[in-house]
Amino acid sequence: MKPISFKTLAVATALLCGAATGSVLAEDKVAERTEGKTPAYPGIPADSLEKFGGQAGVDVWVDDLFYYILADNRINQIFNTHGHVQRQMALNKELESMVLGGPGRYTGASMSAAHAELGITVTQFNAVVEDAYLACDAARTPYHVCNQLIAALAPFERAIVTK
Amino acid sequence: MKGLKGSKLPVRRCAALLATGMALLGGSAHAGILDFYNDGKVLATPGVSMTDGAGGGGITPWAVITGYETRDGINADFHYTYVNLPNYSLNSLGAAVGFYDRVELSYAYDILPTGSTFNTIGLVSNAVGGLLSSPTLGPILSGLGLTTGNQLAGGVDPWNTTIKMHVVGAKVRLIGEAIYDSDNLIPQVSVGGFYKWNENKVLLETLQAAKSKDWEAYASITKIFFPVSTLLNVTARYTGANQTGLTGFGGPDGDHKKVRVEASLAYLLKKDTAIGVEFQQHGHNVDGRNVTLGGGLDLTSLVNNPLLGPTLKGLGVDSALVSTLTQKESNWYDAFVAFFPSKNLSITMAMAYLGQITFTPNQVGYYISLQTSF
Repeated sequence: MKPISFKTLAVATALLCGAATGSVLAEDKVAERTEGKTPAYPGIPADSLEKFGGQAGVDVWVDDLFYYILADNRINQIFNTHGHVQRQMALNKELESMVLGGPGRYTGASMSAAHAELGITVTQFNAVVEDAYLACDAARTPYHVCNQLIAALAPFERAIVTK
Repeated sequence: MKGLKGSKLPVRRCAALLATGMALLGGSAHAGILDFYNDGKVLATPGVSMTDGAGGGGITPWAVITGYETRDGINADFHYTYVNLPNYSLNSLGAAVGFYDRVELSYAYDILPTGSTFNTIGLVSNAVGGLLSSPTLGPILSGLGLTTGNQLAGGVDPWNTTIKMHVVGAKVRLIGEAIYDSDNLIPQVSVGGFYKWNENKVLLETLQAAKSKDWEAYASITKIFFPVSTLLNVTARYTGANQTGLTGFGGPDGDHKKVRVEASLAYLLKKDTAIGVEFQQHGHNVDGRNVTLGGGLDLTSLVNNPLLGPTLKGLGVDSALVSTLTQKESNWYDAFVAFFPSKNLSITMAMAYLGQITFTPNQVGYYISLQTSF
C-alpha cells in the first residue's frame, strides 16, 4: 500500500470540511419537511413501522414518551409552558408514523415553525432523546428498532435546536 | 471578608480566600459560577478514553469530543486502563476535559512494567562490561567506543524495567454531526495531536529508536448509523511512534513519520452497551533490528567480532542469544465490550491482540478500562 503523505491527509480533511459546509448552507429539505419518510443512511427498513407495532404501537410509544417527558424535571417546564400537551401528543403520533414511512398525514407545522420561539438547547433535545429510549423500553420496543426511529427523528435537531 | 484583610499570615489569607471561593462555588451552583457544567450528551455517545488519553475507543482517538458536555458546557473525565499481556502490563492513567463539545484537552501517564523482557540486554551488557577491564579486550572495546561501564547499562533495571510515558493531547472538532445528521453521509471530523515524552531515554536508544519525545497529529471521522445501530470511526495518524511511543519514535534512519490508519467499528447492543473491534496500523521503524550498547554499538557486530566473539561466546553471549533480541512491531487489534451503567462510569473490557512487542511475540491479553465522568 502506498503511504499517504501528511499533505494528502491535510488536503483531504480540508476538502471534506469544505464539502460539508457547502451542504449545510443549502436549504434544509429534510429538517423542514412535513411529509415523507426520513431519508436516513442506511435507509429506515421497510418493516420499521410494523416492528414498532404499527400506528397503534406508535401511539402507545408517544403516550409513554410524554409520560417520561412530563416526569423529567430537566424539560417538563418547556412542554407545560408551551401548553396543548394533548395536541402535541396527537401531532407526535402523526409525525413519528410519518418519519417511519407510515401512510398517515402529518397535520402540524414544520419543526422550525413549531419550535422557533422556544430557544431549545441541544442539552434539552438530548433529554427528550433519553426519554424516547425510556419510552421504547416501556413499550418493549427492541433497542435496534428504537434506533430506527431515533435515526428518523435525528435530523430535526437542526430545526428544533435554536440556541 | 474580615479574615482576608485582617490576617497578615499569607497562609491564613489564602485559607480565607479559599473558603470564600468554596462558599461562592457551593452557594451559587444554580446561579452563575457553575453554569458551565454540562452532562447533556446521550449515554455512551462520547465513547471512552483511549490509552493516549483522548476520547475515542480503546486505542484509537475518535472525532467525538470527550466528556458528556454538549455545546452548552464543560465536562471532564478520568480513566484508568490496565492491559495484561504475557510479557508486559500497561497501565494508563489520565484526565481529559471537553469544552463545549468543540475542544478537548487530555493528559495520560502510561506505565509499562516489562517484567523480564529486557533482562537479556542486562546480561549481555554485564558480560561485555566485564571485558572492559580485560588488558587485551578492553582496548578493543574502547576502540569501538565503549569506555565506561555505565554506557552499557542499556537503560535496563534488571527484573524491574518499567517504561513511563507522558502524553498531552488536544483535539478540535471541525465539522459534521456524528449523531444527528442521519440523513447525510458527512461524518463528524476532528483533528488533534499528541505530544509524548518517554522517560526511558537510554533504553529507547538501546532499542535503536531515534527519539524519546515526539509529536503526532491525526484526523478522525466518526459517524453513527442509527438505522443499523453501528458506529464507524476512521483515523489517520501522522506519527513515527514505535508501540505508540512506549518504545520510542523512529529508528536508526530517522524519525520516519508516516500516516497510519486506524479504525473502530462498534455495534450498539443496547443504550448502555456496545461491542466492537478496533485496528491500529503500526510502523516498522526497528523491525529486524537488534539492540545497541553504549549509544550505537550493534550487538551483532560485537558477537561477530573475531577478537571479542570467542570470549563473549564463552560467557554465553553468542549469535543465537543475540538473535533473540531481534525486534519486530505488529499491527494492533482488539475486540471490546463497553458498559455505561451511568454517565459517571464506563467499564470497557477487551481482548487485545498486539502481536510482537520488541523481542516478544504473541502478545495477546486482556484489557480493562474504567472511566469516570463529571
